[in-house]
Amino acid sequence: MTVRAAAAILAIAWCAALAHAEPPSDALLVDAPSAVTTAEPTSAELAGDEAFRAAQQRATAGDPAAIDAYEQIGNSRPITRWTDDAWAEAARLAERAGDYARARRALEAVLAISSDTQLVRRARGTLERLASITGDGQWDAIAKEHERLVTEVFGGDDPRAELTALAALVDQHPDYPRANAVRGALARGWEQEGDRALALRWYRAAAAAGTAEPGRRSHLELVRALLRADELDEAEREIAVLSGGGEGSTGTVDSAGLRAVREQLATAQRRAWVRRALWAALALLLSGALLVLRRDTGSLAAAGRRLVRPPIEVMFLVPLATLLIVVGYQGNPLVAHAVRDIAIGGLLIAWISGALLEATRARHGRVPVRRALIHAALAVAAVAALAYLALDRDRLLDLVSETWRGGVNVQ
Amino acid sequence: MILEEHAPETIPRSTCYKSPMRVAAVVLLLAACGGDDAGPEPFTDTGGTLAIDGCDYSVTSRLGGEPPRKATKYQGSDPATRLVHLGIAGDPQTSMVVQWRTVDETTLATTVRYGVGAGLAEGDLTKTVTGIQWAYQATGSEQPRVHQVHLCGLEPGTSYSYQAGSPGHFSPVYTFRTAPDIVAQPDAEVLYAYVGDSRDGYDIWGQIVANYVTRMPDLVLYTGDAVTIGIAQDEWEEFLEKGEPLLSQVPMVFAHGNHEVNSVNFFSQFAMPGDQENFSFDYGFAHITVANDTPGENNTLTGSLVDFLRTDFESSKTSRWKLLMHHQPMWSASQHGSNLTLQSTWGPLVDQYGLDLVLNGHEHNFEITKPLRGGVVQTSNANATVYAVSGGAGAPLYNNGMGFWTAYSESTFGASVVRVRRDQLVLESFRSDGTLLPMGFSKTKP
Repeated sequence: MTVRAAAAILAIAWCAALAHAEPPSDALLVDAPSAVTTAEPTSAELAGDEAFRAAQQRATAGDPAAIDAYEQIGNSRPITRWTDDAWAEAARLAERAGDYARARRALEAVLAISSDTQLVRRARGTLERLASITGDGQWDAIAKEHERLVTEVFGGDDPRAELTALAALVDQHPDYPRANAVRGALARGWEQEGDRALALRWYRAAAAAGTAEPGRRSHLELVRALLRADELDEAEREIAVLSGGGEGSTGTVDSAGLRAVREQLATAQRRAWVRRALWAALALLLSGALLVLRRDTGSLAAAGRRLVRPPIEVMFLVPLATLLIVVGYQGNPLVAHAVRDIAIGGLLIAWISGALLEATRARHGRVPVRRALIHAALAVAAVAALAYLALDRDRLLDLVSETWRGGVNVQ
Repeated sequence: MILEEHAPETIPRSTCYKSPMRVAAVVLLLAACGGDDAGPEPFTDTGGTLAIDGCDYSVTSRLGGEPPRKATKYQGSDPATRLVHLGIAGDPQTSMVVQWRTVDETTLATTVRYGVGAGLAEGDLTKTVTGIQWAYQATGSEQPRVHQVHLCGLEPGTSYSYQAGSPGHFSPVYTFRTAPDIVAQPDAEVLYAYVGDSRDGYDIWGQIVANYVTRMPDLVLYTGDAVTIGIAQDEWEEFLEKGEPLLSQVPMVFAHGNHEVNSVNFFSQFAMPGDQENFSFDYGFAHITVANDTPGENNTLTGSLVDFLRTDFESSKTSRWKLLMHHQPMWSASQHGSNLTLQSTWGPLVDQYGLDLVLNGHEHNFEITKPLRGGVVQTSNANATVYAVSGGAGAPLYNNGMGFWTAYSESTFGASVVRVRRDQLVLESFRSDGTLLPMGFSKTKP
């Protein structure tokens, strides 16, 4: 008998003993490269290596039978360095396929045979994670359906049917360990579909149903959703509840999360105030312009007639604005929307401004310098207000402030 | 080689002070204490460099920080250890950096006790190494002090238990593992946690950390924007506190994001190879290149950084798997969109050297491209690169979009893992609630 053959037999015997031993604890494990380490690969090692490569290729190609291929390597004897790895890969694919029982069996096999501490630790972690999802197996089917529906909701075209099915799932199985994750998915799904009312309903349901940590997280999600929906008063009320200052407090809250939503609320409130003030100013300017136009033209009908004819500057600005809008749509969509709004709004301001100046000139023969200066200042203010409102839409302001702080290349 | 090895201290600090009536004894005791029991020196913000004995590299602190100094035995009013996290500055097979802060910010004692094996008891941590420390100027008058111990001469693919702190004030026992030696362990599975953009959402970051702990990665690849603004020390504290369950066991490598603003806080708190901005290293079967796409000087983006990438890609072109990590995506259909400057200057190098995967953040969502080469979608990923965005660690979500390059995108909080084996690379992602994202990336090599 050669030394190599003896070493191989000893290694196989060692692995067989390991296979029947209790799963080792972290403290007792000695790091070893794999289940078997020999100076030169045996034919079994080489065959295991080859089979493992083939299984990997099948897995990459999306072949569902890749799990079978890995399990076959796991069940092959003698045990090689690829055996525990094959079980780990089989478990990964089985979990992805929603076959949790099969994943658990594969992970138990890893624990039974592997001496690779990292693989063992990962197998234990995955088993714990699966237990938190499926209990001891009684929720396997529900968890699989949950994953399938969530995939359809966020990856499909029209998710309304799946959202309805998700709602039914959580109604029928309120004790499912991830019921609150389902409610959260329903909230995000409806928000994505643009149904704010339903989205907020599910955010509220998640916040109300969750206990302790999950409830607090759901509550923060509700606040964030309210901020996104510009429901600032309600967001403020919910923050007060989260802070322990209102009815239904969830007790201790995460200071970082709470601080962040408070800051977001303060910013949103400030911006809402500025937005209201600017809309009021624009309305005031428009009313003033129409009144002056009526006075200068002599009647409402004459003012209307003056407004119908585009002033010369508008004729010049139309192609420029069109070009800006077209160029804007070649890049960032948020910037494109802002450029479009500013260009169209600017044209309207130029139109009214031009009509006003023409009416004044027609009435007085010329535009007095003082009046021209006031007119220009108000037109600039109107354009500035319009630009702010365009940037405020879709929170493009955040992007602009980021650029301001980080430089142009930062975007 | 280990930096320094000492027998555990036998003379408590208090003993060195509490003998005022016995002058001779005090002199003797001070001598025995090594004469290094003085408090912090006056703060200087010049930065500096210190060679780490036993490791083949130096540590450099930036302007705004003190020069790194060797630890002494001085303990401040509350030397309790906090915010323990790991980093790598040398070969990850044989070295590890343990980093932490103390409550009082004046403690200069910096020690790690460790032993070979996972989950050891305190009594089994028989080796002791002394490290370095320095303070840096944060916002206002704060001067946080970082403690680092560089463990070199470790064994590859080996678990170590350790405690960080100073006598009487050590952290709990944590376990880390060095990178595997892929020659000795061709079946090694290396798992990278890949995530970014936690700013403003540390509760979600905490949720993701908890999920990662069950997955037990080998290395955390963080794509930047951990905080809203890099000079905000309180945000760094939140980030590290929430991350401690993971980062005390798994080293993290960080790509600088635009929100880090090249702050001294960022460079002081995270040990990384080279200049901490643009560097590369091998971990398992992959060569990982990290680049700062928001450098202090913008013109370096298209100048010296291109040279760095070319040189690095050239020197690693025989690597089995090649990954590039930086913050802003060259390909994205989300709020910021594709960074066209990077696409036109870095993109050709990515194509030329056949990188397998580019890891980005910046967009607060998940995106993965079809295989791309020369800006054209390829039918196979064999000779093409896939670009991923995994920026859902907590920052306010952005809407996702679809470009001709998009394979999948979703506006969701979540994170990713990259599993690398000798012949296969797999990217998988999960939402913060634990559900799996449907689309990932898998590639095999013959």
